[in-house]
Amino acid sequence: MQVTNLTKIYGKKSVVDDVSFEIPKGKVTSMIGPNGAGKSTVLNMISRLIARDGGNVDFKGKDIAQWKSRELSKKLAILTQTNNISMKLTVKELVTFGRFPYSGSRVTQEDVKIIDEAIEYMELTEMENRFLDELSGGQRQRAYIAMVIAQDTEYILLDEPTNNLDIYHATNMMKIVRRLCDELGKTIVLVLHELNYAAFYSDYICAFSNGEIAKFGTVEEVMTKENLSEIYNVDFEVLEINGKPLSVYY
Amino acid sequence: MLAVKSNRSKIIILAGIVIIASLFYQFSGIDIAYFSYAMSIRTPKLIVMLITAFCIGSASVIFQSIIQNTIVTPCLLGMNSLYILVHTATVFILGSTSFLVTNKTLSFSIDLVVMGFASMLIYGYLFKKTKGNVLYILLAGTVMSTFFSSVTSTLQRIMDPNEYDTLQNALLASFHKVNSSIIGFSIVLIALILLLLRKELALLNVLTLGKNHAINLGVNYDRSVRRLLLGVTLLIAIATAMVGPISFLGLIIANLSRQLFKTYRHSYLIFGSTLIGMVVLIIGQGLIERVFSFSVNISVFINVGGGIYFLYLLLRNRGNV
Repeated sequence: MQVTNLTKIYGKKSVVDDVSFEIPKGKVTSMIGPNGAGKSTVLNMISRLIARDGGNVDFKGKDIAQWKSRELSKKLAILTQTNNISMKLTVKELVTFGRFPYSGSRVTQEDVKIIDEAIEYMELTEMENRFLDELSGGQRQRAYIAMVIAQDTEYILLDEPTNNLDIYHATNMMKIVRRLCDELGKTIVLVLHELNYAAFYSDYICAFSNGEIAKFGTVEEVMTKENLSEIYNVDFEVLEINGKPLSVYY
Repeated sequence: MLAVKSNRSKIIILAGIVIIASLFYQFSGIDIAYFSYAMSIRTPKLIVMLITAFCIGSASVIFQSIIQNTIVTPCLLGMNSLYILVHTATVFILGSTSFLVTNKTLSFSIDLVVMGFASMLIYGYLFKKTKGNVLYILLAGTVMSTFFSSVTSTLQRIMDPNEYDTLQNALLASFHKVNSSIIGFSIVLIALILLLLRKELALLNVLTLGKNHAINLGVNYDRSVRRLLLGVTLLIAIATAMVGPISFLGLIIANLSRQLFKTYRHSYLIFGSTLIGMVVLIIGQGLIERVFSFSVNISVFINVGGGIYFLYLLLRNRGNV
């Protein structure tokens, strides 16, 4: 996926200004940056959730606006951070929706198999018949990821998947993201606030600041004391733990 | 699987109740000497009740699912107050003896055209203009309702008192003022709406997941919601033009259906809410005719019952509203 000159303007202020980058295939890319830097807006634009005011998003040789929405949803999945579904839905029913782009409302034998696998992959089998509103935040988040897995797309975009999760569940979530990339070969882009999760679990980091890309590169390239201090305007120390650069800020 | 089975049997039981109630309404307390006369009175009324129940029931469920809120009613679209305004204005300008008022078919057509046109204009246009924000639709509907009501009350205040008296009667929901040509026309129209919306109706389950999920799953959200909203207003317009301001009923039957079926599947919800609506209307109308001998109007029942049920819903959901 190739993004060029992407722009979003609210009123007179451009929140995303002339952003260009390429998403590395088969890798985990994290978007980091302060609040209001435009990370989520970019993610929402490249997944067609919101309209853009300029620029191109080339996906497999065709602009995403040119794609048939149904076809695109077989290649690219997005999970945003607010997921309040007002309906009475069980885990299994939610995951079943992941097959909608393929089979509509009629679920085939193959779909059933994929749904069961997705549920098993996220270790939700024993609670597959429970209602979503009876689950804990972490379990619910896993159910949504299972739906995305059932959607069986090459690209998965996640907007703050660790939001509102405690350390245990957030870490598990990041391990799942890593596994999705390593075991299932997915290309994953996620917006993250926790720098160290980004550093430890991703291959590339795309740092935003004021609606522009401040730094884009491998984890080692971006996670330096100077870069981080400049992006966040806070003093940083970068330590190396397990061969990964982890940051401390104060 | 168990849930599906029991939901299916609930539908069958409800359908059974509807059939029994219809038969009872149609054939009870009849004087054999006047059998065919009684039939000619009761049959159209029964059909109108069934159609109204379907219009209101399906429109309410769809509307609630689009708005993602189960305590809204399509009343918010302002069709009731527009209906009242149209009738008040006709009586005010042309008098209560004008053929526009006395000719039922003609007044039905006028109601339908005005409401249909207004809904296309207000909701179709506004929805595009606001880039698909359903909350603006609600807001616009509320403002429009208030506007229509204010115009109405101004007209009614300066109206001839005798005319006002006749008007008041026409403004209450009732099943007496419908003839067979209206029924035929409505059925054709409803069939047409369902035909045109068949694709969108199949998307309802996905749409209730919310905008982001729906788009992610490849649904053209804005277009689908816009078309469904138009369908909802037209269905409500048909029901209102036929029997008068009655869409408050939708709140009751849609929620009873949601409570009864506890599912996201709209085939059950819509069918259930339609059947419940039929039961409520037939039993209510039966009571009015046979017990209260026409001294009260069905609107009274609906508003009293609906009001109490609405309070119950608010109190029950206090935690998560």
